[in-house]
Amino acid sequence: MITFQLNNSAVHVDIDPDTPLLWVVRDHFKLKGSKFGCGMGLCGACTMHVNGEAVRTCTLPISAVQGAAITSIEGLGTPDNLHPLQQAWVEYSVPQCGYCQSGQLMSASALLAKNPNPSDDDIEMAMNGNICRCGTYSKIKSAIKSGAEAMRTQGSLVEIFDPVITDKEASS
Amino acid sequence: MKKASMTRRLFLLSTGAAATGLIVGCSTAAAKGRGYSAIAGAFEPNSFIQITPDNKVIFYLPSSEMGQGILDGLTTLIAEELRVQPTAIDVRHASLHEDYKNPEMGMQATGGSNATRAQFLPLRQAAADTAAAIRNAAAKQLDQPLDKIVLVDGQVMVEGKFYGFGDFVAVAALMPVPENSPLRSPKQFDQIGRQRPRLDALSKSTGTAEFGIDAEVENLYRAVVVRSPVLGATLQGFDASAALKRSGVVDVVKIKSGVAVVAQSYWQARQAAAVLELNWEKTELGSWSSDSIYNKFNETLNDSSQKGLECCDEGEGDKLLDQSATVVAADYYAPYLAHATMEPLNCTVEVNGDSCAIYLGTQNVQASAGAAVYYGDFDADKVKVHPAFLGGGFGRRGLGDDVAEAVLIAQKTGRNIQLVWSREDDMSNDFYRPAALVRMQAGVSEQGLIETWAVRRVGPNIMGYMLDEWVDALAPDYLNKGFVDWLSKLGRPIFNRFIADPSAGDGIYSDYDTPNKAVRHVTQDPGLRTGFWRSVGHSSNAFFKESFIDELAQSAGIDELDFRLANMKNNPRLTEATQLVAAKAGWGKTLPEGHFHGLATHSSFGSAVAQIAEISIKGTQIIVHKVTAAIHCGMVVNPGIVRDQVEGGIIYGLTAALHGEITLVDGVIQQSNFHNYPMLRMADAPEVEVHIVESQEHPEGVGEPGLPPLAPAVANAVFKASGQRLRDLPLRLS
Ligand code: FES
Ligand code: FES
Repeated sequence: MITFQLNNSAVHVDIDPDTPLLWVVRDHFKLKGSKFGCGMGLCGACTMHVNGEAVRTCTLPISAVQGAAITSIEGLGTPDNLHPLQQAWVEYSVPQCGYCQSGQLMSASALLAKNPNPSDDDIEMAMNGNICRCGTYSKIKSAIKSGAEAMRTQGSLVEIFDPVITDKEASS
Repeated sequence: MKKASMTRRLFLLSTGAAATGLIVGCSTAAAKGRGYSAIAGAFEPNSFIQITPDNKVIFYLPSSEMGQGILDGLTTLIAEELRVQPTAIDVRHASLHEDYKNPEMGMQATGGSNATRAQFLPLRQAAADTAAAIRNAAAKQLDQPLDKIVLVDGQVMVEGKFYGFGDFVAVAALMPVPENSPLRSPKQFDQIGRQRPRLDALSKSTGTAEFGIDAEVENLYRAVVVRSPVLGATLQGFDASAALKRSGVVDVVKIKSGVAVVAQSYWQARQAAAVLELNWEKTELGSWSSDSIYNKFNETLNDSSQKGLECCDEGEGDKLLDQSATVVAADYYAPYLAHATMEPLNCTVEVNGDSCAIYLGTQNVQASAGAAVYYGDFDADKVKVHPAFLGGGFGRRGLGDDVAEAVLIAQKTGRNIQLVWSREDDMSNDFYRPAALVRMQAGVSEQGLIETWAVRRVGPNIMGYMLDEWVDALAPDYLNKGFVDWLSKLGRPIFNRFIADPSAGDGIYSDYDTPNKAVRHVTQDPGLRTGFWRSVGHSSNAFFKESFIDELAQSAGIDELDFRLANMKNNPRLTEATQLVAAKAGWGKTLPEGHFHGLATHSSFGSAVAQIAEISIKGTQIIVHKVTAAIHCGMVVNPGIVRDQVEGGIIYGLTAALHGEITLVDGVIQQSNFHNYPMLRMADAPEVEVHIVESQEHPEGVGEPGLPPLAPAVANAVFKASGQRLRDLPLRLS
């Protein structure tokens, strides 16, 4: 039995401990926003936050997340309550096919949580593990800058990266 | 003077997704009536639009959304004529129905960059007629003259009072639906041509957009298939005993392409698949490797006894070649390529007695349904397709091979299954962009005008392989299966020996004014299956043509831009795009130290695109700093999406130009995942600037035309920078 936090809820699962987190989240918890692209940690489509770090979950065995706080795209924001980066993603019309974008957003949001004002190089470094076959890179870059600025001026919203206690939990 | 004899219909076959109706007629479209399920009380004037009493406007999207923005584009057309905000429309993927056939293709499919062009008028007409029906109903119900009834922003305004559309649907449903209602004129457009965030951006930025791989149905098992390492081999035997002992595994079954392992979870199925033991017979492809394929192509290229098939013969053909002031010749090569859609292929099948539901993202709803009918022996009206978003298409999705496997597994096991291909499965079981070796020859006058243009191309065809998939899936079900299978295999001999596959010559001779042209294609095919890959024949032919044009200009001592403009007097669209890009990028201006410009221009899918790449060289590495592009694609529905598509084509093209190569050793594909088939990543992505030529002409393609000029623009810049004329793709400096 493995216990962890998934988008601020305590969850547990009894499953082959080698099973990658990606498949547990997708097929067991039925959260389908995180995607399968390569299964080898090469494309970033499966990126989630593990204790605030952007991690490729297609190669992360579920046994490794015991006690960890996991955030998937579903925990980043919702259509009614967008994370500033998601807001920027929509404003800039970043997605084309959209398949890579959950992973892109999770990498980008992990970056901004640590570095609220990233340079082009910082962005390229943080995002280089995420492939976009449709070629949305320049828009991703613009949207990250715009989202970063919005977060700086709104003084945002990092509670969702907090691995233990969150405002959400405290108030609910 | 002889012109290439290619019918319009046949031309369409080449351009991405097409009509086997040509050969066998199509049969699998559902019966008459509307394409959607009725909603109680709703007004249902046609198969595209439903308006409910509570004012909901639903639009059934007839084309597949694979990133190209067609959801946004076609919804905008509906919004424009129906006088509703695009964001207020509830858009749903249309299931199979004959009303949703692409009017140019005669098939419910998406490809060839024609979805906007083909549906620009019919969809607006459907919406305009619906708007007229609402107005008629309002006039009648409120007993007001028609000219007092105005549709504004999703509401009916009458003498300053506002009503919902839904207030009139009951009356509208009882009245005849008007036909040929006047369409809004471009001057009136307030949605078409406007830039705004694309409609699917929100769902795709929140993980809520549903792709095929996200399908969930009751009692769903996951399946993976182990296929032959050499494509197309037949299974001789297998031992599943170890696999069956693995946890979660419920079935191991043989299907036509290999052996399927079915388990409770994907991971269990995948682990068990690794311990299957399989024996495959040897096939012809197994005796080929990339070197021997290239050598065979080269031998054929030089064997003049093999005349090949005519793609184009105009004026005096190549007879006067030697009489020109300058004659230039060069051989070029392009390799096989994989599509590598971001979402690996997958298909979910739910079987219920004699009926079946399939869930997937597909470019060809009709062939997907047809594959279920053919392989699963279902009656056509018992198959229901639930189309989803596509995590990339690029010509790969919609051949029916995914559906065939999934349906066979579901039937053999009696279970609902989701088949998921791994990235490795996807890369080694593709329908590859064909390799080609070409000899380009041209005669140029002293004034720098091209007098003769001669091409001899060697390589495989696409159509034979496509027909093999599609004829099975699209043949009328009253035909005997053996006959259909026989028929489906005819494509290869026909296109190898009798008819030049249109994609062989696509774009290799048509942009310039040259009076004498001869293009011939000699089929040489090791048996690796091929398919439509974003921009199809143009993807390699533009590289050959536009690199060679630079060679001609340079041998004539004429600036590459001037040379092109002087030779494209009959090509006004390409001229406009070329002039625009030259002005925007500053052709001829001084660039930063070590930076060089390369130009390429190419028309495809009705649009003309010119690009200037700015590059530098570090050691043997090619660094692309910036690509400036101009596109002439007629009228624009959403300029943001046009720019994105051109940029996307550039990035896709740059991945191919710098890295793309599928190689074989003894028939086995050597590339398996992104470590050995690398994709361009953010740090290497150039700045891209896209300019659109203002136009009121009918809209043309944008999904593919941005790609073809990229490789030659980069290669031409590399020549300027290094003096090396790179004639093989991918581009590698020595
Ligand atoms: S699916 Fe995990 S990195 Fe590609
Ligand atoms: S939007 Fe299609 S892969 Fe990124």
